[in-house]
Amino acid sequence: MIETIRQHIERLKTRGAAYVDARWYPFEEANRLFMLNGNLKDASYSRESGVGVRVLYKGAWGFSASSDLSDLSALFDKAFDNARTAAERVTFPIRLAEKDAIQAQFASPCEVNPFDVPLAEKVAFLKEIDARLNQAGVFLRMAHLNFVRKQIVFLDSEGSQIEKQIIEVFAGMEVNGRDAQGVTHERKFRLGQQGRATRGWESIDRQLFHQHAERIVRELQELLVAEDCPKEDRSVILLPGIMYLQTHETIGHALELDRILGYELSFAGGSFVTLDDFGKLRYGSEKLTVRADATVPNSPGSFGYDDDGVPAQNNLLIDKGILVGAITGRQMVEEANARARRKIFDGSSGANRATSFYRVPIERMTNINIDPGNDGTLEDIIAGTERGIILDGDRSWSIGSNREQFHFATEIGWLVEDGRKTKVVKNATYKGFTLPFWNSLSAVGDSSTWELRYVDNCGKGQPNQIMQLGHGIPVCRFDNVRIGE
Amino acid sequence: MKDRILQTLRDLRAYALAKGYTVEIDYHEEASSLMRFANSAISLNTNEHLIRLNITAYDGARKRASYELITDLEKLDEMKQGVEVAVEMARVAQPLAYEPTPTVFTESFVDESGYDDALAELDNAEKLAYFNQVAARLESDEIKLSGIFSNGATTIAQINTHADHAQYFKFSDAQVTAVLAHARLKWEVMAGQSAWRKADLDPAPPHRDLAFLLERYQQDPPLQLPLGTYDIVFGAEAIADLLNFMNWIGFNGGSMKRGFSMLGEDKVGQKVLSDQITLVDDPQRPETFPFKRDFTGIPRRPFPLFERGVFKGFIWQQDDADEFGAQPTGHTVMHTSLVMHGGEEDVATLEQLVRRPRQKDLLYIPYLHYMNLVNPSRGIITGSSRFGALLLKKDGSTAVPYNVRLTQSLLDIFGERVAWLSRQTEVCNTSMSYGPRNPRALVVPRFMCTEGLEISHSNASY
Repeated sequence: MIETIRQHIERLKTRGAAYVDARWYPFEEANRLFMLNGNLKDASYSRESGVGVRVLYKGAWGFSASSDLSDLSALFDKAFDNARTAAERVTFPIRLAEKDAIQAQFASPCEVNPFDVPLAEKVAFLKEIDARLNQAGVFLRMAHLNFVRKQIVFLDSEGSQIEKQIIEVFAGMEVNGRDAQGVTHERKFRLGQQGRATRGWESIDRQLFHQHAERIVRELQELLVAEDCPKEDRSVILLPGIMYLQTHETIGHALELDRILGYELSFAGGSFVTLDDFGKLRYGSEKLTVRADATVPNSPGSFGYDDDGVPAQNNLLIDKGILVGAITGRQMVEEANARARRKIFDGSSGANRATSFYRVPIERMTNINIDPGNDGTLEDIIAGTERGIILDGDRSWSIGSNREQFHFATEIGWLVEDGRKTKVVKNATYKGFTLPFWNSLSAVGDSSTWELRYVDNCGKGQPNQIMQLGHGIPVCRFDNVRIGE
Repeated sequence: MKDRILQTLRDLRAYALAKGYTVEIDYHEEASSLMRFANSAISLNTNEHLIRLNITAYDGARKRASYELITDLEKLDEMKQGVEVAVEMARVAQPLAYEPTPTVFTESFVDESGYDDALAELDNAEKLAYFNQVAARLESDEIKLSGIFSNGATTIAQINTHADHAQYFKFSDAQVTAVLAHARLKWEVMAGQSAWRKADLDPAPPHRDLAFLLERYQQDPPLQLPLGTYDIVFGAEAIADLLNFMNWIGFNGGSMKRGFSMLGEDKVGQKVLSDQITLVDDPQRPETFPFKRDFTGIPRRPFPLFERGVFKGFIWQQDDADEFGAQPTGHTVMHTSLVMHGGEEDVATLEQLVRRPRQKDLLYIPYLHYMNLVNPSRGIITGSSRFGALLLKKDGSTAVPYNVRLTQSLLDIFGERVAWLSRQTEVCNTSMSYGPRNPRALVVPRFMCTEGLEISHSNASY
């Protein structure tokens, strides 16, 4: 198969293609289990295989994909034809940043392949969790296990051949309850890295789930009798359960270079960031240092090599508050440097990824992480807060089309008065403008507060793609934030 | 091709019956093409052909599991293997606390009335020519074209071991969005079109709308709106997006039972929205890519949801109905076919809206970006204006507002504050390309004016 693909790549090169690559998925399989109030609503397994071909011709992309591998010649020809049509409307001929030809393999770290674990054992785990969650005040209880395993073979016309074996594990649980006014509230727990070096079945830690099951039920019970969140300005202390999403939506997406260059305007939106901003824009306070680190051990945002065949990297995005980098692939860095008439980017940051064989790679977050700070533990930050609110859990998120403003609803809030956590409040929300918000960052927790959270549902692109990634974030405090609206 | 698909499903059914298995088999085939534009170029031209087979197996009355594979019709052995995997999984699945109703097709059903080969097979040159006409004379060094032309065909076929009948549906569809964006100032205007047959494609209306909005955005002064309440005229796309949320947190019986709805059972028969609001799930409207049977074989007929503001009842998918002891309503489908009736005001185009005399300032919001649910129990959503909002001043002039955020309950947006609806309606294509191809569209009034809605956030620039 590999040799056949290689021959077709060479054939299109001789027809005039400037660049060709193919991603062959010998298999991608998924196992999903979802239990709702004790009912196993979803017990499913899926398997797919196929090839996606990307062709660059006269400065334009064509792409074609199929699960039918009986006529690879037609598949490659279709991708080439698509590129030829695209070449009829080119305004900025695509060039690709240089990279080395790579022969490599990558395997995500895993001790116990979850696909080797009997289904009965997985179901038993969900039953056990469901029983733990079945307590007073809980109206709805959910638990899920999602496992993905895939093999990807990447070949390109520049001589690269990369084979990847990736296993993903996503797991979580949620409880819902109704307050006296009939309003539903929720608390949830999602498995993250939890300091583990591997993510196989071994990461389904019963003790961990039991602990968090007790916690989220207790917090839900507190929510059901809590007062509403006040409408006022306060310092907000974001715990990792919402801090990851704040980072994701207002730093991660805003710094995708394709968005910055206007390639997502017809759907996902743009970015307030301009090419002039790199090296100059004060994105946040001096306490803010952010990196795109695809080398973190054990995260869905660490994948060895991206779908341009570029090695995973650890790059600064924001250095002590100043914007210095972006999330990039080979095409966009060349265009950005040319448009800016200066060399902003040295090369691809290795962040061009596709969600499946039948989607084209686009700039995607890797692990967009905030460095731990020097403001101590969560308790230290609370003690230093005069009038604040601690927020946790993502309930809803909505972002301006250029990522310039946002509104988040959280699952739970705890008011802070004179350095002490006082009471739980429900229906807690906060909103702000991106740059003023990050510049109001007044405390960044130390490494004891830092967690690597997994994201398994990041949507972007047309055709749409869902991507998996990570966010390593500490507890952070922001001042003068509007809450409760 | 239809015969070959159905024969393959019959072969699989025979295999399962011979083994004594109980299975339901769903076939989904898509031929999808998407031409994407950005920065006035074709940024991507892509196509894919995928066949998905989903096999749900039952072990006894209460245990079930499913297996899905991407395959092709040549691979019958692979499909049979899929049956075996699903059956094996069902054996160890946890029994449900309720008994799922087996799907029994009482007759075979074929519907290809929504398929137009000419639309499904549009070639690259035709799509490019269409887009060139939409954007003709509107692009410049600063005004750049973005958008998509997505078209394709979707084939769905279903069979099971309970009866020897099968269902077969085939649709064609196209979704066009064209965006003109100012490269430096970062504003955008948009127009779109939906098609279920090639004859629906006409580049003139989106060109007209883009040209009108572009002129306004280039000539009218921009401004930051003060926070406060406004009379808002929603465009069709915004209305469609808002109504789509009701699919989820409004009239869905399963959501209601799980505490995820703004309407309770006590609201059936009650007036909960403005008496100007009539909403029907109408599978007789071909523009909505309708399913005329649901996936359990129930014939689908117009299903009233709100009649002059009165809530008529919840929709029930089969599995939710089984779990909660309700009667299924023919809504075990991939999408509903929502049709909101027009009102009494003659406002056919944006230009007519702008030229219409008015006593007060109106804020026109054609599109709500990144909407999300803040509080489902209260129907509260939040989202930002985008793609061509205008402030229509009472003196007849217009201004371009920087984007604003609306955080409001659907019960208010469609409630007593509704001032008027346009008589004219429009088809809004709200298809997404996550997962299997699933074209969907709503028919909604071109404009709806709701008074006294609060703007909670107002940008200071584009």
